[in-house]
Amino acid sequence: MSVNKGEVFAVLGPNGAGKTTLMRILTTQIRPTSGSAYVMGYDVVKEGDEVRRVIGYVPQEFSDWMDLTGYENLIIYSKVYGVTGNEARRRIREVLELMDLTDAANRLVSTYSGGMIRRLEIAAALIIEPEVLFLDEPTVGLDPAARRLVWEKLIGLNKERGITIFFNSHYMDEVEAYARRAALLNRGKVIALGTIDELKGSVSNDVVEFIVNNAELTVKVLKEVGDGVMDVNVVDEGTVRVMVRDADESLPILINTIFNHGISIRRVSVHKSTLDDVFLKYVGKRISEVEGKVSELRAVRRAVMRG
Amino acid sequence: MSSFINAILAFVELEARRLKYNRTELYTRAVQPILWLVVFGPVMARVRALPTNGIPYVAFITPGVIMQSVTFVSIFYGLTIVWERESGILKKLLTMPVSRISIVLGRSSASIIRALFQFVIITPIALALGVRVEPNPAYLLLSLFIVVITAIGFSAFSIWIASYMKTRERFMGIGQAITMPLFFASNAIYPISIMPTPIRVIVLINPLTYAVDALRKTMIIGVLNGLVIDLLALIIFTVLFIILASIEFKRIIE
Repeated sequence: MSVNKGEVFAVLGPNGAGKTTLMRILTTQIRPTSGSAYVMGYDVVKEGDEVRRVIGYVPQEFSDWMDLTGYENLIIYSKVYGVTGNEARRRIREVLELMDLTDAANRLVSTYSGGMIRRLEIAAALIIEPEVLFLDEPTVGLDPAARRLVWEKLIGLNKERGITIFFNSHYMDEVEAYARRAALLNRGKVIALGTIDELKGSVSNDVVEFIVNNAELTVKVLKEVGDGVMDVNVVDEGTVRVMVRDADESLPILINTIFNHGISIRRVSVHKSTLDDVFLKYVGKRISEVEGKVSELRAVRRAVMRG
Repeated sequence: MSSFINAILAFVELEARRLKYNRTELYTRAVQPILWLVVFGPVMARVRALPTNGIPYVAFITPGVIMQSVTFVSIFYGLTIVWERESGILKKLLTMPVSRISIVLGRSSASIIRALFQFVIITPIALALGVRVEPNPAYLLLSLFIVVITAIGFSAFSIWIASYMKTRERFMGIGQAITMPLFFASNAIYPISIMPTPIRVIVLINPLTYAVDALRKTMIIGVLNGLVIDLLALIIFTVLFIILASIEFKRIIE
């Protein structure tokens, strides 16, 4: 498995699949029991120091000192990293602005919302001007608006600064919306890898259902459409199910065809394939159906509680 | 090297900034040692049963009470590390380009602030109780050095313990179990000369004994005979636990 420079890459899997373990190996916290891994060309086991110099990391749990202000957190992290004086002040000002935290900088972190804490952690990771940003479940426990804001910031970093973003998630929608490529993980094994479109294309087709006044005729004419249409059949009286490769492309053609034969459509519904369908195909279960490890669940719940 | 020192200073600064917001903790920590000096000391002094080589009893226990306070504060410093383990802070620190030894040394040094504060609160109270403290500034500097090295040593010891006791409850338990025996099995409140031999053996391997003995020499007695042995024991203890804690540090997040 490999991740390209400058891309947004997701590891998707249920709780306990090994996402966090993989990330902790890549960020040099633990050694792999077997195999090897490289970050920006550096071996995570033999060249840990070089790896640590080019990565930023945001763990799943909160990593700020709650009893200090946001600004003080950044000062401490920049000093630990070895950035001091004017250079530190410049970088702190810049990352605070980037993460929309300038106004809240002098407030204690214990007064922050969950989304602000996450953004402060991302700010702390950015102080070291990393080439790769590792985020473990970056939006767990955040409300939808806060999630969107965090992602807006992350995508901005990726686009404007070319920072490679590698994140773990068990939220499918998040992976589909923001990642370019993804790996599906289950029980410590990569079960599928590719761009989001490739992954979806590898398993299932989109499904379009029409409720029409003449089902027989609809089936007959749609079978002749050819390109993009995989299968057509009648589900029950008046309902026709069409399997297509890509609903966005085929839908206008299908509607036009039906319309041109004088059939009237009462209702159209489209079901697009999701990464969950991919997971279902390879594992036989949906992501939400796989039982997680208790420890990981506890960590998630703790994060949710604090958020 | 400069980044090594920067990291250590950053951890000391962290502690100073946190204390700025939680000052009451500094004062509540001083309550217990003050009780020893104000209540226990004068009462025991009336018994006149302890051979203290002519030193008034309250003066005799002053270095003991200061050192007890310094070691308690330092031993419970590991609790901070346990808390940071439960949050993501330690994980994050381990992914930054700082060496583990600078994390351990920096965190241990951070407890110097609390330790010195104890010294600064307790000493005037001892003076007010009529304890004669050695006025020579060189001796005062030596006293401060002894406080500092003891604080670093016992904090490193507590960080080492924290890498085995990974939950707050377990750490609190072991902390309580260690601190009182450490205090009573030392020369803090009675001289070694009156102890039965088996206890004397334990007292002689207790690092607190050497810290108290050293401080008693520089602060009260004013005669430095044998100070080198005390300092050597303290330095060996401190270096040993900094190394052990650094080696075991990664274990804490596993």
